[in-house]
Amino acid sequence: MPAIVTAFEDTGHTIDRSLQTAQPSAGASASASAAARASAPPAVAPPGQPFTVLLLGSDNDAKFGGTVLTQSMILARVNPTTRQVVMESIPRDLWVPLSTGGSAKIDAAYLHGGASASVATVEEDFHIHIDHYAWIGLLGLVNLINQVGGIDVVATNPVMDDFYPKDLTGKDPYAYERVAVLPGPQHMNGMQALMYVRSRHGDLRSDFGRSQRQQQVLLALRAKAKLLGIADLPDIATAMANDFSTDMSISEIASLLPIASSVQLQNVQQVILASPYTSVLVVSNQDALQPNWNLILPLTHKFFPAV
Amino acid sequence: MKRALTVILLLALMAGFGLGVNRLIASRKHNIPTESSVFIPTVTRPKIVLPGTLYLAQNGDIYRLSDGFFTDLHLSTASGSWMQPAYVPNSQDIVAVLRAAEYSNLYLLNSQGSIIRRLSNNANVHLDTVYLNHWMFYPHMGADGNTLYFSYDQPKNSSTLAVDFSVWSGTLSAKLAAAQLTNSNPFTGGDVDPTPMASGTIIYSKYAIGSGNAYSQVALQGKPLSKPIILTTPAQDCGQPAPSPDGTKVAMICIGGTGLQSTRLEVATLTAGKLGTPQTLVNNCLCSAPVWAPDGSGLVYYNTADATGHFELWWIKGASSAAPSAPLQVTTNLDFDASSPPSWSPLSSVPVMAR
Repeated sequence: MPAIVTAFEDTGHTIDRSLQTAQPSAGASASASAAARASAPPAVAPPGQPFTVLLLGSDNDAKFGGTVLTQSMILARVNPTTRQVVMESIPRDLWVPLSTGGSAKIDAAYLHGGASASVATVEEDFHIHIDHYAWIGLLGLVNLINQVGGIDVVATNPVMDDFYPKDLTGKDPYAYERVAVLPGPQHMNGMQALMYVRSRHGDLRSDFGRSQRQQQVLLALRAKAKLLGIADLPDIATAMANDFSTDMSISEIASLLPIASSVQLQNVQQVILASPYTSVLVVSNQDALQPNWNLILPLTHKFFPAV
Repeated sequence: MKRALTVILLLALMAGFGLGVNRLIASRKHNIPTESSVFIPTVTRPKIVLPGTLYLAQNGDIYRLSDGFFTDLHLSTASGSWMQPAYVPNSQDIVAVLRAAEYSNLYLLNSQGSIIRRLSNNANVHLDTVYLNHWMFYPHMGADGNTLYFSYDQPKNSSTLAVDFSVWSGTLSAKLAAAQLTNSNPFTGGDVDPTPMASGTIIYSKYAIGSGNAYSQVALQGKPLSKPIILTTPAQDCGQPAPSPDGTKVAMICIGGTGLQSTRLEVATLTAGKLGTPQTLVNNCLCSAPVWAPDGSGLVYYNTADATGHFELWWIKGASSAAPSAPLQVTTNLDFDASSPPSWSPLSSVPVMAR
């Protein structure tokens, strides 16, 4: 089984307490980090070496006048040699300094500067280097899952939501629809899987529950990677059309397929930054999450090398 | 003339090369089955003929499996998907769920798939108050053929976002949602999979959230709304309990320790409100929805046959014994709805009438 560091109140002790030493605040070091990046652009990890990918998921409808926030941010560290993977979900409501200036929820970084701003913000706030990014829109995820023939998911619990956005299927992008994903193993098509990873209103854990489900679906997609080859990539790329972007080349993506298919579940570690790593914060009349950098940075740097 | 021949030859070579490359690429594409490549149930594997009659759901329709043959009930999917059939004891009728986009209703159907009557009315006609719709799932009939148990997302407090199932009961002959039997944990999804036992108690899956994880526990409910007896631990994360016909064994699906990527099919002895040490019948699978044969001789469940992920019906003879037989795959190339448990009537085949 993958090690899951859910980092909720009474599971925090699964983390090495010796690492919880004081760290410089993210904001204080952001400018230094930016200066370092400007003077010496970090190289992409050479083939065969461990690398870090920032996975971004967004709504991509036009209901907010073309503004796009990232609903999902997952840092993934892949070691091609040991076939080990770490996934760390970054809460969308995390209140952080943005690389483009000012502070806001981290999901707004994409709004202000696209994927590059999201990458820079995460690099500066988390003091890590990101080799690549991959962004996928809602329809891109739906089409990707449909293209691989659906995924098999063990739904953790009944996922219920009476206020799920009806922005992909209805005429009114502000309308709601009801979601009821029944628990247990099941085969999901793209739209069903999207409901499973996007719903949050009926979950006590809200965005954290959703983050866990998002990582679960990524692992289910990993299982499907075993059935794919490089010849399948053009069809998949066509299916995702404008709902996918990355700075990786086709050959780099193709080289990831055998890695993805050979990663054993016990070599996957999952990290979710709930309490005490984050706490509720109200700022500018918005519900947000206050990062506890003294805990987050040591935890993150256990898996993602500090820079 | 020589130049023209050379050009033609080159063009032919180019066309041949292009065709070859295309064929090579096509040969390296992987044949991932889609919904259209899944067959409609017709016959089972000939060597496995299960006793009685099984009702199963696939792709929004319900099928009857008897004597090794499937019969399509040809239910209309114009208003939603049919699922979760439950046979009515001492009759040829079934209760089933018709799931629409925003709500689901329970229906009473005869053996030929004709609707006898709709049992619930959970649709809300006001488009701006979608939350006033309701879900009903997991119908299960009591032995008297009249009492019905199911999961229902009432009561709902409009001032919160909580939507959770509780177990309710009622009757086919009078009020359907007459009594709320369980109090669910808010914002967890609630209580599902209720099955009545001979003792009068209800066994079901109770969901909770603790330490940042959602999990299920198998629970027993005696008097309505009383404190349930919890039979399994959060770490086991077991649900979908299926009591054997004599009530001494419980088959269940457990997720604990799998990293949420697989399940285990387990069977445990139930004595005086306590479960014994479970015996794992199938490990590292996507097992789901176990149901015992009416004579207790074994159990069926759903599991995938390969990595393509379509759920097939499997059978374990002697599942309650210390040395059960190895699982046998009953069906191939089908794609059953794994969230829709089969219902197994002891009655054998009913005559198929022209529709």
